[in-house]
Amino acid sequence: MKKTWQILTNEFISVVSRRSFIVTLLMVPLISGIIMLVVSVLGKDTQQMVGSLISAPVVAIHEGYVDHSGLIRLIPPEIPAGRLTAFSSEEAARQALLSGKISAYYIVPQDYIESGEISYVRQDFNPITGISQAEFFQTVLRFNLLGGNQELATRLGQPLVLNKVSLAPEPERDQNNLMTFFLPYGVTMLFYILIMTSAGLMLNSVTTEKQNRVIEILMASVTPLQMLVGKIVALGITGLLQTVVWSASGWILLRISGSSLSLPASFQLPTSILIWGAVFFLLGYAVYASLMAGVGALVPNLREASQATFIIIIPLIIPLIVISSLIENPHGTLSTVLSLFPLTSPVAMMTRLASGGVPFWQLLLAAGLLAGTAALTVRAVARMFRAQVLLSGQSFEIRRFFRALAGKAA
Amino acid sequence: MPSVEVNHISKTFGSVRAVDDVSFVVNPGEIFGLLGPNGAGKTTTIRVLLDIFKPDAGSVSILGGAMTEAKKNLIGYLPEERGLYQDISLDRCLTYLASLKGLNPGEAHQRIGEYLERFDLASVRQKKVKELSKGMQQKAQLIVALVHQPDLIIIDEPFASLDPINTQMVKDLLLEQRSRGATILMSTHQMHQVEELADRFVLIDHGQAMLYGELETIRRDYSSNDLLVRATTPLPPLPGVIRTEPHNGAVKLSLAPEVSPQEILGMLVARGICVEQFEIAMPTLDEIFIRVVQGRKEDKA
Repeated sequence: MKKTWQILTNEFISVVSRRSFIVTLLMVPLISGIIMLVVSVLGKDTQQMVGSLISAPVVAIHEGYVDHSGLIRLIPPEIPAGRLTAFSSEEAARQALLSGKISAYYIVPQDYIESGEISYVRQDFNPITGISQAEFFQTVLRFNLLGGNQELATRLGQPLVLNKVSLAPEPERDQNNLMTFFLPYGVTMLFYILIMTSAGLMLNSVTTEKQNRVIEILMASVTPLQMLVGKIVALGITGLLQTVVWSASGWILLRISGSSLSLPASFQLPTSILIWGAVFFLLGYAVYASLMAGVGALVPNLREASQATFIIIIPLIIPLIVISSLIENPHGTLSTVLSLFPLTSPVAMMTRLASGGVPFWQLLLAAGLLAGTAALTVRAVARMFRAQVLLSGQSFEIRRFFRALAGKAA
Repeated sequence: MPSVEVNHISKTFGSVRAVDDVSFVVNPGEIFGLLGPNGAGKTTTIRVLLDIFKPDAGSVSILGGAMTEAKKNLIGYLPEERGLYQDISLDRCLTYLASLKGLNPGEAHQRIGEYLERFDLASVRQKKVKELSKGMQQKAQLIVALVHQPDLIIIDEPFASLDPINTQMVKDLLLEQRSRGATILMSTHQMHQVEELADRFVLIDHGQAMLYGELETIRRDYSSNDLLVRATTPLPPLPGVIRTEPHNGAVKLSLAPEVSPQEILGMLVARGICVEQFEIAMPTLDEIFIRVVQGRKEDKA
């Protein structure tokens, strides 16, 4: 236990005192902060910003229309006076456009009711702001199609004001907020990055010790299991530290810029997601970190590890590939299978949890299966650490890896 | 109770039989030589007895039984493939590796300080290991092997990349460790180093033990009826001497089987020859090794 602790502390100090780690730890929140600051200072939405890149922004919008159908008789009261000018002919509208009196005009054809087609004429090319302007003319058309009934026109414009009510025993989140939609994506990606980063640190640690040839001294001093457990725990703590720092700085940034990004001040993750998140992270990390350590034991150097790493992380990528299906149908067969299968469950279960309503027994079963797999993987890889593979310097073969994992001579 | 007892161990890698039915015993307090050319199976034997490799057959008893975690603290190991953490300071590297041998931070700090002074490394203790010369790293590695005052010291090619001054320093250190009561198993292909230090040895070639026993006994066994004589005047022809040849300023006399060295000495004295050196010519380990390996090749042929 004492030696495991010594390995743990040495590993932790080695990683966190590395310049590259400190830079990454600080730069991610710093860059995020700068981006958020720039966005909030500019105070523009993305569409406006992209539109302004294509052509100069329209400062004061005065537009015209030519109505061949005779539909437009009234202008809705919410349209400011002078915003929209009627022209009797297309030629008159064109002249007004060329002389700069208006920025664009709409042509409502005679067969508008049948075809629904409207022409939008402007001098420059800007498909993005063009679309946003057209929404305003829709209001005019809707109002007139309904014979000037303002209430009906407003309702038709937004027929559904959905009030979502969740029966799950979670603290109620704002179901209508955009963040609710992005949360499962965010949590899934965070988990993937977290597990991959920490497992990558493990691979780096083992291959470095192999290349430095310290591994033989270590094996003459400690047991393979002590070495593996010490490293797994230390690098897991490092990963968690990184997550806490990033999450805390993210939370602070959201709070600071909350008003400009229109985020509810009470936005929070349900407590159960945090608790289960910690469980699935630790277990999932233990599985993948030990597999990475196994790869590290077999490859002669870090360069040769990329092919092996890719094969190992395929199960972790699968939930990312089918993430849309998981979010749309969080309790379907695919979601359930992926969230129970130990190699995909660390990520898939978090996607489901963030989507909501996972039965408790499935959480327990998935955690149990993952814990069992973690224990077996750590033991199997510890066995590989004592084998001659660690000192052989042979090039990596995936078949050799699985044979060694199964306890057969590599 | 022997410090190390190796019984008929074998180890195969793929189609290569690295160690083939090797047995030997290392007694407490002795310097034991594990000899053989490069690739003979010495390092594999060491890794088997340190429990890094599992033998395919045979057994190893170390400090009275199977390897345990507690016993690892009683063993000092200098591997052939030297290795230290390159990106940290020498002091931190040594302290960490010493702590893995059971030393508490205070003890580790004190003993490492003493060794660094002795090895002339105190001034570079805060430097990164990768900034040190090869010789300095070699000495640092020796500190790792010795700092916890182990009962059993296993050193693989201890004189590699050392200059004559440091070679002598290591020799003195090993003799000092022996006088402290430590058992030393020294693996090397440099036969003359073993002749100087070891009490007993085993010679391995192609994974097999070719010679095993006390150094002097083996040399005597392999000695032929030869004498080395140095005199102030040229030696006259002597009855019973089959052949003479110069040998490092002396003359090597090959005697007929029925003639004893005493008879030759008597003849020299009787003829009034002033003798400066008279000794039985013992073969060097190099010569014995060549004879053994050549004999093996001839047997195979």
